[in-house]
Amino acid sequence: MRYEIRVEGHMSETLAKAFPELEYVLMSGQTVLFGSVVDEAQLFGLLARCQSLGLRVLEMRQTPE
Amino acid sequence: MGSAAHDLTHSGGESAVAATEDQPVSTGQCVDPLGDPFLRTRFALPARPGTFLPRHRLNQHLDQALRTPLAMVNGPAGAGKTLLVADWAAGLEQPVAWLTVEAEGKRPGMFWAYFLQAVRAGGRTLPEGVGGPTDADHVDQRVLSAIAENLEAAGPALTVVLDEYERVTAPEIADQLEFVLRHAGQGLHLVLVTRTEPMLSLHRYRAAGELTEIRDAELAFTPEEAVALLDLHGLTLSLAAARALVERTRGWAAGLRLCALAARESPDPAAYLKEFEADRSTIADYLLGEVLKRQPEQTQDLLLRVSVLDRFCPDLVNSLTGRDDAERILTDLHRDNAFVERLGHSWFRLHPLFGEILRTYLRVHRPGLESELHLRAARWLRQAGSLPETLAHGAAAGDWDFTAGALVDDLAIGQFFTGLGSDDLTGLFAEMGPEATSPATDLVRAARDLARSDFQHGLAHLRDARAHPATDAGDPAAVQLSCALLEALAARLTGSPALAERAAETAEDVRPELPPHLLDKHPELPALLLTHLGSTRLWAGRFEDARVALSQVVGAPGRASTVLAREESMGHLALIDYLNGWPAQAEHKALEAVSETERYGLSPPSGSGIGQVVLAAVAVDRDELGRAEALLDEAAELSVAPHDPVTAAGRAIVTARLQLARGNAPAAVKAADPDVSAAVASPWADSHETLVTSAAHLAEGRPEQAADMLRQLADDQPSCAVEAARIQLAVGNEEAAVDLLDRVPAAGRPGPAVTVRATLVRAQAADAAGDADAAHRLVAQALLDARREQLRRPFLDAGRWIRPLLVTAPLNELAAGWLTPGSSTRTGPAGSQPLPLPIVVEDLTTRELEVLQRLAQMMSTQEIAADLYVSVNTVKTHLKSLYRKLVVNRRSAAVRRGREMGLL
Repeated sequence: MRYEIRVEGHMSETLAKAFPELEYVLMSGQTVLFGSVVDEAQLFGLLARCQSLGLRVLEMRQTPE
Repeated sequence: MGSAAHDLTHSGGESAVAATEDQPVSTGQCVDPLGDPFLRTRFALPARPGTFLPRHRLNQHLDQALRTPLAMVNGPAGAGKTLLVADWAAGLEQPVAWLTVEAEGKRPGMFWAYFLQAVRAGGRTLPEGVGGPTDADHVDQRVLSAIAENLEAAGPALTVVLDEYERVTAPEIADQLEFVLRHAGQGLHLVLVTRTEPMLSLHRYRAAGELTEIRDAELAFTPEEAVALLDLHGLTLSLAAARALVERTRGWAAGLRLCALAARESPDPAAYLKEFEADRSTIADYLLGEVLKRQPEQTQDLLLRVSVLDRFCPDLVNSLTGRDDAERILTDLHRDNAFVERLGHSWFRLHPLFGEILRTYLRVHRPGLESELHLRAARWLRQAGSLPETLAHGAAAGDWDFTAGALVDDLAIGQFFTGLGSDDLTGLFAEMGPEATSPATDLVRAARDLARSDFQHGLAHLRDARAHPATDAGDPAAVQLSCALLEALAARLTGSPALAERAAETAEDVRPELPPHLLDKHPELPALLLTHLGSTRLWAGRFEDARVALSQVVGAPGRASTVLAREESMGHLALIDYLNGWPAQAEHKALEAVSETERYGLSPPSGSGIGQVVLAAVAVDRDELGRAEALLDEAAELSVAPHDPVTAAGRAIVTARLQLARGNAPAAVKAADPDVSAAVASPWADSHETLVTSAAHLAEGRPEQAADMLRQLADDQPSCAVEAARIQLAVGNEEAAVDLLDRVPAAGRPGPAVTVRATLVRAQAADAAGDADAAHRLVAQALLDARREQLRRPFLDAGRWIRPLLVTAPLNELAAGWLTPGSSTRTGPAGSQPLPLPIVVEDLTTRELEVLQRLAQMMSTQEIAADLYVSVNTVKTHLKSLYRKLVVNRRSAAVRRGREMGLL
């Protein structure tokens, strides 16, 4: 499954390394993390990581392969 | 226990345990289910820094928590939840218990052990009966009930704060908390501090007005509060500027604080704040970067390095930085409420928000340093005597020689076998590759394999451990003692008494060379070793020697880590009693063994099942066959080491006897072979197997073979000799029978199960010889001896000759109520109830009577089934049971017997 997670604000390059398994792109005051996710457990793990990094998640959605 | 722990909690500098200031562990005997000391910092209210801003509106809202059973403070990391609740709790007049949840949130047993410890640390004395769980993964309902009952009954209501509740991920824990909450009534106020919605049925509490709830929106700073907060940091801000700042940070406490720090360090704070408002980076990331780069280089370095630690004190931090400025830097950081929180006793931790970010920075900016830091931390922690953390960091560093060495040096290898921590240890060493070759790593591998009954590999690793030259690192005595423990276990599993004795001697020899405090810390090590020694001696038939070893284990004070060893030793002692013919004593000990584990809330899969085997054996002696079968099934489920010779032999004997009692001779013969490979034969196991086979021959009408079998029988087991005598008598060898009885040594103090049978054999001999008086007298004596123990089996096995005797006075009086159905309770022993199961001339049920009547009419099984509108199988069941009650095995005999008894 591929997912994208949209968080508020521009992430620094260093912070983006906290998500080595995802790619990211900055756009209009937001950062979009995207990539493939193995299963739901990983998905929730990513969400928890966002939370523990103090990131505000604006959107999360599955994208077509 | 309560008061010692109490001293430790109320933090503050004037600690009475200053000598251990640098150790994160509590003193005293408080250990968690894994046998590790509880970390006292986990039970301490976090200290509030000088820049903490108390917010009246929130404290007031929290006061409502004292009127509701449940309160929840729910907000993201850095929202200021922990300090808010800590500040509120510190001002309470009521007692407060605090627990910062860590990894135990994944394991109910651990969680409740920490919960109980927090309650104790909160000043509540719990009665000894509340043993607490000893299994990391399970908690017994009785433990929960005891906690709830105690909270409800005693003193003023206790407020329990569970901080970082989001780490509770095991769904059972939420249910268990609700159970305790419901049953503790007014005695408990639970406050959950969490980042995520807990899995409690909050809607019900909410609907009933039983929930105090503070969420993110309420935690957010108002512009007025922001002004006050920044003022504490030495920044003066207009309300309008504060409003913009609050808008940018959405009132997020961590954001505001970091912003204040960054602004204060910048040349023009006002301009900086403007800049921050306009910036579009993620707040924490940006602010952290800003704050970090403004810190002195040493501070930046320190922050990155401590990110590998859950908690730290200045000395530990110095060992990571290689400098000596940690105390000053940490104190400054704490004063500014930046990055670190103070846990009391000069221990700190990173603010939960920054740990993750800083670790990311560390990996990016200092690649490769992480494992080096873990190793340094592990070395320091080992010096400080904190084993679990040492092992965790050692494993994180991937230094297996060090990690295994630490485990062995600490004498903690027994934890692989306490049924509690073995999973954790196995998980910890799962990554260990074959490249680590120190004796300690081989010992760990051997322990891991033996703990899961993999002999081949376990024994091979044990040989490797012996073969490797001792390295400079590590204590050779600790290696030897650990080796001795594993060898004793190997000896037990392979039935090799000589090996076990040698292992025990080695252990004795090296003990004086080991530090006493380590030996005290690990009572499970000698307890396990003695249990294995006792088991091996028991296997070899040396009952008295076995008893000496096992009694030492049972006699030692009970600790969580020795529960399994105690249970096993008690079970083995029970087996000895049973084999010596003392069923009541055996039952008593076996029950004690089983209840020992229950008291600690240990879940069944940890037990060895030997207690259940003995209970089943006693049940067979009492002819409670259904119960015996249920117990055997239970034992089979429990058995974690199916190849343990003693347990396997015990189970074989009891299963075979059960089958014999049910009249299923072939199954009995099959079950009698314990199917274990042992270096040395076990006299009692062999004798019992021979006897069962012989009895089966007899039952199937092959007296010659039965007598033949007996010739192979060694005559050192009184219980076997007596039964052999019965078989000899049954096949007509009266002389041989009496001769066998005369040779039964009286010195062994055989119990009633032996003497009753012996007396019955003599009675039968007398009866056969036509000496009716002697037969009467002997049966009377047997009845008297058997009644107290409810021993029914010997009379049922005795044969047909005894039945006419039992209906004559005064024998009928002695048998009434427990052996035969009888109205006479007058003669029953005081205090014992007449048993519901009269055996010898047991009444037939209406249905069985109907079946018997149709048998008498020469109807086939199918015809009876059709006639009674039941299935053929049901008829067969009735037939079996009426055969048993009438003590026959054929239809014609059943009909004849029914006529004799006037049933037809």
